[in-house]
Amino acid sequence: MGSRLEQKSNLVRKRIEGHTFEDEGGDEYEGSKFGGFTDYFRRKKIKLQNLDAQVRAQSSDKPQIFKGVVCHINGYTQPSLNDLHTLIVQHGGGFLQYLDGKTMCTHIIASNLTPKKREEFKRYRMVKPAWIVDSVNGGKLLPWDAYRVIDEGVGQKVLGFDNGQVVTQASRKTQGYREQTSTSWYTSQLKGREADTPATVKKLPSFTQPLTPEEEIDDDEYPVPEITSSIERALDQDDYGSQYLSPELPHQPCGVLDAATSLETPPKTSPPPVPSEDEAAAKGRATSPVEAAMPAVESAAAFRPREGSQEPDYSMAIVRNSEKLRDISPSKLADMTAEEHNALLLSDPRIRKSTVVHPDFLEQYYRESRLHHLSTWKADLKSQLQALAAEKSSSQKTKLKKLPGQRRYIMHVDFDSFFAAVSLKKYPQYVEKPAVVAHGGGSGSEIASANYPARDKGISNGMWMKRAQDLCPELKILPYDFPAYEEASRKFYDAIMAAGGIVQSVSIDEALVDISAICFAESGTDGVKRYEGAVHREQRKADMLAQAVRDEVLEKTGCAVSVGIGGNILLAKIALRRAKPAGQYQIKPEEVFDFIGQLEVEKLPGVAWSIGGKLEEIGVKLVKDIREMSKERLINTLGPKTGEKLWDYARGIDRVEVGEQVIRKSVSAEVNWGVRFENQEQVDEFMHGLCGELHKRLLKERVKGKQLTMKVMRRAANAPRDPPKHLGHGKCDTYNKSLQLGVATNDPAVITKEVIAVMKGFNISPGELRGIGVQMQKLEPLKAGGEGAELGSQKRLQFKRPTTPPVRNDTATVGRATEDSIQDDVTPEKQRIADINKPSVAIRPINVTTPTKRPLNMLGTQFVLPTQVDTSVLAELPADIRAKLAKHIKPNVGLPPVPAFKTSEQRHKLAPKDFPAIALPNQSQLDPSILEALPEDVRAEILGFYKSPGNRKRGEQALLPQSPRKVRTLPATKHPVKRKRGGGLFAGRARSNLHSVDNSTLTQSNFVARPLAPKHLQEDGGANTTDTEDAEIEELDPDFLAALPEDLRKEVLDQQRQARLQRTGGIDVSLHQRAKARKKKGTDEEGPLDRLLQLPPRPLKPSFTMRKLTELPDLRTAVKAWYQEFSDEGPYEEDIEALGKYLRDVVVEERDVAKAVVVVKWLVWVAEEGQEVEALGEHARATWDQGVAFVVEAVQSAVAKRGLGRVDLG
Amino acid sequence: MANDAPTFRSLVTHFTDFLTVAIHTILYERNIYPRTSFLSARKYNFAVRQSRHPKVCEWINDAMAAVETEILKGTVERVAVVVYNQALKPTERYLFDLSRFPIVGAADADVPLERKAADGTTVSVLPVVDIEEQFRATMSKLANCGTVLRPPPVDGTFTVAIELKSDGQAPVSHPQPWMPVEAATRQGATELQSRRTHPLRAVVAGDLMFESWIEETPAAD
Repeated sequence: MGSRLEQKSNLVRKRIEGHTFEDEGGDEYEGSKFGGFTDYFRRKKIKLQNLDAQVRAQSSDKPQIFKGVVCHINGYTQPSLNDLHTLIVQHGGGFLQYLDGKTMCTHIIASNLTPKKREEFKRYRMVKPAWIVDSVNGGKLLPWDAYRVIDEGVGQKVLGFDNGQVVTQASRKTQGYREQTSTSWYTSQLKGREADTPATVKKLPSFTQPLTPEEEIDDDEYPVPEITSSIERALDQDDYGSQYLSPELPHQPCGVLDAATSLETPPKTSPPPVPSEDEAAAKGRATSPVEAAMPAVESAAAFRPREGSQEPDYSMAIVRNSEKLRDISPSKLADMTAEEHNALLLSDPRIRKSTVVHPDFLEQYYRESRLHHLSTWKADLKSQLQALAAEKSSSQKTKLKKLPGQRRYIMHVDFDSFFAAVSLKKYPQYVEKPAVVAHGGGSGSEIASANYPARDKGISNGMWMKRAQDLCPELKILPYDFPAYEEASRKFYDAIMAAGGIVQSVSIDEALVDISAICFAESGTDGVKRYEGAVHREQRKADMLAQAVRDEVLEKTGCAVSVGIGGNILLAKIALRRAKPAGQYQIKPEEVFDFIGQLEVEKLPGVAWSIGGKLEEIGVKLVKDIREMSKERLINTLGPKTGEKLWDYARGIDRVEVGEQVIRKSVSAEVNWGVRFENQEQVDEFMHGLCGELHKRLLKERVKGKQLTMKVMRRAANAPRDPPKHLGHGKCDTYNKSLQLGVATNDPAVITKEVIAVMKGFNISPGELRGIGVQMQKLEPLKAGGEGAELGSQKRLQFKRPTTPPVRNDTATVGRATEDSIQDDVTPEKQRIADINKPSVAIRPINVTTPTKRPLNMLGTQFVLPTQVDTSVLAELPADIRAKLAKHIKPNVGLPPVPAFKTSEQRHKLAPKDFPAIALPNQSQLDPSILEALPEDVRAEILGFYKSPGNRKRGEQALLPQSPRKVRTLPATKHPVKRKRGGGLFAGRARSNLHSVDNSTLTQSNFVARPLAPKHLQEDGGANTTDTEDAEIEELDPDFLAALPEDLRKEVLDQQRQARLQRTGGIDVSLHQRAKARKKKGTDEEGPLDRLLQLPPRPLKPSFTMRKLTELPDLRTAVKAWYQEFSDEGPYEEDIEALGKYLRDVVVEERDVAKAVVVVKWLVWVAEEGQEVEALGEHARATWDQGVAFVVEAVQSAVAKRGLGRVDLG
Repeated sequence: MANDAPTFRSLVTHFTDFLTVAIHTILYERNIYPRTSFLSARKYNFAVRQSRHPKVCEWINDAMAAVETEILKGTVERVAVVVYNQALKPTERYLFDLSRFPIVGAADADVPLERKAADGTTVSVLPVVDIEEQFRATMSKLANCGTVLRPPPVDGTFTVAIELKSDGQAPVSHPQPWMPVEAATRQGATELQSRRTHPLRAVVAGDLMFESWIEETPAAD
């Protein structure tokens, strides 16, 4: 609102607010003079304001919510003007009875406006009376915006923003009269009464609005059935059913009641059993009244027939019976988040079964979806036909080069009411009666096919059941019988193929056949020249062919087909119309013109009521009328394409050739029914499946695509959580995103990865998802030849896959790893194997992780999370699995290191349970090729280890005594050398090298086993050392030693020497060695839970002097004694240095800056004290000062070395 | 917990408990919050101050929970309580160096720890009395830090930071309790020299070993 408008209304507002009324003494109460109308009117308004002022004064207890609001009321309102007036004034608003100018008031209240006023008041605040009422009820001034009388029109879309995404919002419609009635006094009175009566009455809005003729209400405005969700409705129906169904049914004869139940109970999705003779008769009697009655009941229950739903009745029954949903109050339902809502919905196993969360959903979905069935079937058929036709007609094609002016003979073969006819074969008793094939007897099911008796009653395909039952109450409903259809179709096509000619399948039950060649062969002409006899012969041949096809199909399938023959597809189709039912007709060239001319335009293929309506507007009713039109006129009316086509059609021209196949442009998989997710994992899982489905279809079509389009349906903001159709998608916002893949692919892994990435980009909460579709475009044919399907356009390098020996090798290495890790805590060997076996390519078939399960680094930091299995995944294994693995390892370790292995086993009587767990390398480090080469069961078992939740590999490693400052002492440093030998990419070859090395010498395994020896001895008192081990130790390969770096070699040799010494002399191992030998010792008898973690001994504290002083008091004493000892001659340099070194160690190694500082301070104090007490020689003083300075500097530098600032050393 | 066999978790809990008390003390000593908002309490048989503002307490507890999580992962080298001045420049850092904590894998946080002395006798891993004494000593040092430090900053604030070991995985995940910052500690020598270190104490109680000191940046003026 502009400020100009505000000004005036502000003035008025102030005037009204300032208006007071004392008594009737004011001049406004004087009599008016003759001709003083203006005076009179002015006074009248003042008096009215007096009235208001009084009302306001009397109702000071009411909240003054309308302060600052000046209202005027225009036209008829509910509540009445008077009521509104009092409401406004009582709540502090100003009221104007007379509007002198539009800007006088802030709001104008009206329920409806004339078009003129609508235009006039467009820019003012036109508000509905409900605003006042709701504001008063709510106790606060509501935004008037929500109560606009004038909006931007229905066509104006309103944008809403939700979470950064634009969503549609329905633009509110002007509701007009109805809205008034619903808020009217009468309605409220009625409602008040309803509250006393049973709740069900309220559910029938027609009771509450008896005065409102339903016809007047715009369909879209009728909110009740749309707002209620399917669940609520189902619950309502249940209520209704329990109360209303019973009183209504007794009107039926009793016998019928039974029949009704028996008819209704079997699930409609499954075909009823073929009735026996008398049952059928009973049913025949029963159906009519009951089926007539059922829709009546239903329509009463659901207010209006549900439309567009296939299986609502059945699924609603599920919802109705779902205990869980019943327990939740509707208000609670409304409060939940989408995910919670879905979770609740899914908590019912029966509902869960029919949603995407169910693992078999996709399969089931595609199995049961009728549309899908028909379309895939057709696609199958088409591709089969194409293949067949391509084979068959390759020879004919050359001959069939179309000559200009050549005559053509096209047959259009079509089943008569295919579904109905086939289904009726099982119910022969209905053949003469009107019968239809449909999904079920519910009013919402759609008629798929009607037989001729039914068609006579006016029932047509695609009609809603309710309508059909209105037209023909005794209608029989037959179930689908897909296997039978398929069989019939197959036979049908067999027959057509047998006839020869070029076949083009139109659908499962109709086909076009170009039989020109056969006819020409009969006549012996080229089809161009006109010989009377030849043409006759050709036509006769065509008729004969048609007859033959009909006979054969009838014989094979038991169903009648009709055949139309014409010079082109159009004529064939038109001829077919004439031929039906169960006949054949040939349009001869000479009668084409008349024949077509007599037709109504809408009988032409591709012309229906829409085009027909347009044509009727320009005065065309029959086809011959089109001929009167100029081509331009037609094009102007219908557009260039349709116009020209019709112009041609009217002259019997159709240029489309039989066998011209439309090339498939896209392959897609989409699901938009039953899509209800609880969490992101389910979404990912589902997309995985969907991409798999797409992959299957791409393979079937033998194509791969370059462009991937993703379609996501998200629940529209204003749509209910449960759409009218059970588990349907309801009203949705649809998002599409395409991406170029660069290289054509049909690899499900690639597709899944992309799709999931796109999905993440959409950022839609899983609960809001209602449909997901994946489409592959820019298709390229797969290269022909065998398993070409598997080949991408990019060649993959094939690495030589090791066959059997590596298996043994691997298990052997695993086995060795086992012993190593048992004997040596540090397990460098394991690491080495890991590196060798690092997969060079991703494991595809065995990979258990889906792409999204890998952490996606979305935070944009420099840190990348590890892709390796984390420690929580790797945990302990149950004992039995361990035992199993041990079994596998043992026979395979047929290699010389067995003795070592044995000893380890002996030792492991202490901790037998831990043994196999230690042997497991990380899963990511398993060589996939080896895994693949393993027998199925072994592989499953090995993988099973990784899956078992208790497995914890890393944890095991983590508790190794790896004091960070001692890294250099660990033999682990050896593995860099070895790592070089087992490269990543050429793992296979490297391994075989290794293998041979292993066989030739045993040094490798010995090496790694090396560090264990001392500890081994230490723990077992050397009792276990055997001669074999002895031999191994001696067997260091000199070549190998030479290859080692200097320091490593030294270490290895040292170890060896030590071991030898121990064996012979039993010299105690150094502490240093022990530190390495420490290991976790499980108290195994008590199981893994009661394990004890043995902590490594602490490194020795640095100590001072020979007496190994470490504690402060000692140090102080020592320092003091030292000073006193040397006070007169000055300290020795070695002592100063020793102290400096010690303090440096304290700071750097012991990490106790405080202690060092205290010692230094003590020294400083002692020195100063001493100097004060006794006079020292100049030399002694200087050396002491120097010494102190040195120590101080030593500490400061040590502190700086640790990256700390200078300390205050007094 | 202390009665049962000590685990790494209980060790860490001892430390974080101490750290909580230390933070309250620092907040009190360095006038981060008005002194009147602190209660007097007794911990480790020592008179300590405790903020009674629920939000402050909540923040500290949350921070300690996060610190504990990280320590249990075994990746934390140091924990720092940083005091900032009004211009959000750090003036003091209270550092707790945990590099001498026993190294225990995250999966074994609840496995009882045991230590054997050189002669085979079992040594207490978490001697409760020692811990209390050590903590008391540290607290008393901390409570007297005002004597060595410059006057506390006016309108200062504080935060808790951790420094990871070089091989530590940064705790980046959702929700992200920690903000990654560039390592800016190793600066030029002059900067280092101008910083002053006030050692507090190296706590050694069984296997609970850590060192604490205060770092003071040079005066802004």
